Amino acid sequence: MKDRLEIVASGFGGQGVVRLGQVLGEAAVKEGLRVTMLKSHGTEMRGGYVRAQVVLSPNTIDSPMCENPDFFVALSSAAYNRFKDTVPESGVILFDPAFVEEIDEKLACTHRELPAKQLAMDNFGRPIFSNSIALGAMAKLLENEMDKEVILESLLEIIPKFHDKNREAFQVGYDYMS
Amino acid sequence: MKRFLETGNFAITEGAILAGCRFFCGYPITPATELAEAMSKRLPQEGGVYLQAEDECGAMHVCIGASLGGMKAMTATSGPGYILYADPFGWALGCEMPLVVVNSGRVGPVSGITGAPGQGEFYLTRYPTQGGNFECITLAPNSAQEAMAMVVEAFYLAERFRMPITVLGDQLITDGFEDITVPENEDEMKEMGFRTWPRGSCAGPNFYPFSDDLDIPPVQMGSGAGGLCSDWTPTEQGYDIEEVEAHHKHAYRLIYKVRNHRDLFNHLYEKKYMDDDPDLVVVSYGTPSRVVNTAVDKARSLGMKVGALRLINLWPFPDEHFTRKTKYLTVELNWDGQLVREVQRAAPKDSEVHFLGTCGDLPTIPDLLENFEKLLKNQPLERKGWELEAW
Repeated sequence: MKDRLEIVASGFGGQGVVRLGQVLGEAAVKEGLRVTMLKSHGTEMRGGYVRAQVVLSPNTIDSPMCENPDFFVALSSAAYNRFKDTVPESGVILFDPAFVEEIDEKLACTHRELPAKQLAMDNFGRPIFSNSIALGAMAKLLENEMDKEVILESLLEIIPKFHDKNREAFQVGYDYMS
Repeated sequence: MKRFLETGNFAITEGAILAGCRFFCGYPITPATELAEAMSKRLPQEGGVYLQAEDECGAMHVCIGASLGGMKAMTATSGPGYILYADPFGWALGCEMPLVVVNSGRVGPVSGITGAPGQGEFYLTRYPTQGGNFECITLAPNSAQEAMAMVVEAFYLAERFRMPITVLGDQLITDGFEDITVPENEDEMKEMGFRTWPRGSCAGPNFYPFSDDLDIPPVQMGSGAGGLCSDWTPTEQGYDIEEVEAHHKHAYRLIYKVRNHRDLFNHLYEKKYMDDDPDLVVVSYGTPSRVVNTAVDKARSLGMKVGALRLINLWPFPDEHFTRKTKYLTVELNWDGQLVREVQRAAPKDSEVHFLGTCGDLPTIPDLLENFEKLLKNQPLERKGWELEAW
């Protein structure tokens, strides 16, 4: 585990941006790491702009800001365009093409496409499971940092409903990235 | 001890309960709504009472009533609600009722930006009501964990000083998640440095002695005490009066019980790289101090002789940290510059005092480093029109 791992997720309200950060953060706490997660949002519960900034570290975390995220989960074009330039060369942008239609080919970082919404519709007929699919994908990307099973356990704790389908969706995302 | 990922709002709730708070009355407002929500869930589990009032002014009045009834009480809000405390805050100060008030700063003025952090109430927590003739105590944590600790401390100070204490946070602290450790018994509380003070009840015969003494229990209604709770001047025997000499004695107590016992809270600060007379001292409080800490680490690794001073006890202002003539830079979550004015006042004559303000978002480390470097090279800070207020 490096001294500081930064994860940004951003999109609009209702997509589960904060939940995604919360699940990864809770898993990191279970792994014995220190965690901060800032969330910024508009007044609206749904539809407004949302960003979660998660910092993980084996040590005390001073700045809770993600200025150079190792991972950026982009769930809207606006979010992608706003934060894409902060991702360093070694960083990864995970994006859903249902929301981010055009990517910037000039960026030095790695882009990983995850059609989470489409996978949720194909497998479960409902877009609501796209968040668990994204978490499964993140579990694959973070496999050197955190145990996949701990992330899944945290997901099932934080999202108390539809455990079977969420478990399945998590695996769909994990397999898609494998 | 329990450890989990939770918000500052949750941490503050747990801290209040650990300190013995069993009464909360408030009015929901972003970014302190989840605090009211957590209180509504947790207090009944602990045999306490949760009430939602018609507005913040009513809420704090209700808390005064609970405190007069012998309960440790708390209310919480954000800037637009804190200003509505102006009337009851005066009552609580004048009647000397212990209370804890949490303010989670967002971007102002008025409604401003709800889900983003601001530090616009630095002076308001010093002057939360009209009339003057009082001192206030404000504590400003910079993390969810420290917010829990400072709420426990605020209850301790509220009891000993018989007054409302403000815990000044910001949206990132209350709304943000962090790994939090919660003590589960008194031994663990002691281990974490938490101290508590029981509620007493003034039995007379002198209810409001004209002294700066601490630990005079507050008046408690229905406990056989004969003291009063009045907006007029209390006499020593607990009656009220409207008369200058008596009021001067009353004001003396309100002012000097705090000024003469600063040793109870003036240890609440943090210094970093301050032992080698740094050429630049960066002063901050709340969440910006965490970015400052990282930036100062980086600055030192680049050979810049920069130190960081983080204030936790904001009021009464700790002038003792500003005795050295050097360069100071305040980093604040506002664009008008508030802390900077107080540092200018406290610093030796002709000290250079500069200001860097952001609002709604934290400053970035490259921005801070650029400004440190300029100040160390005696270059003026770059003025970016509306982006930076000249100081």
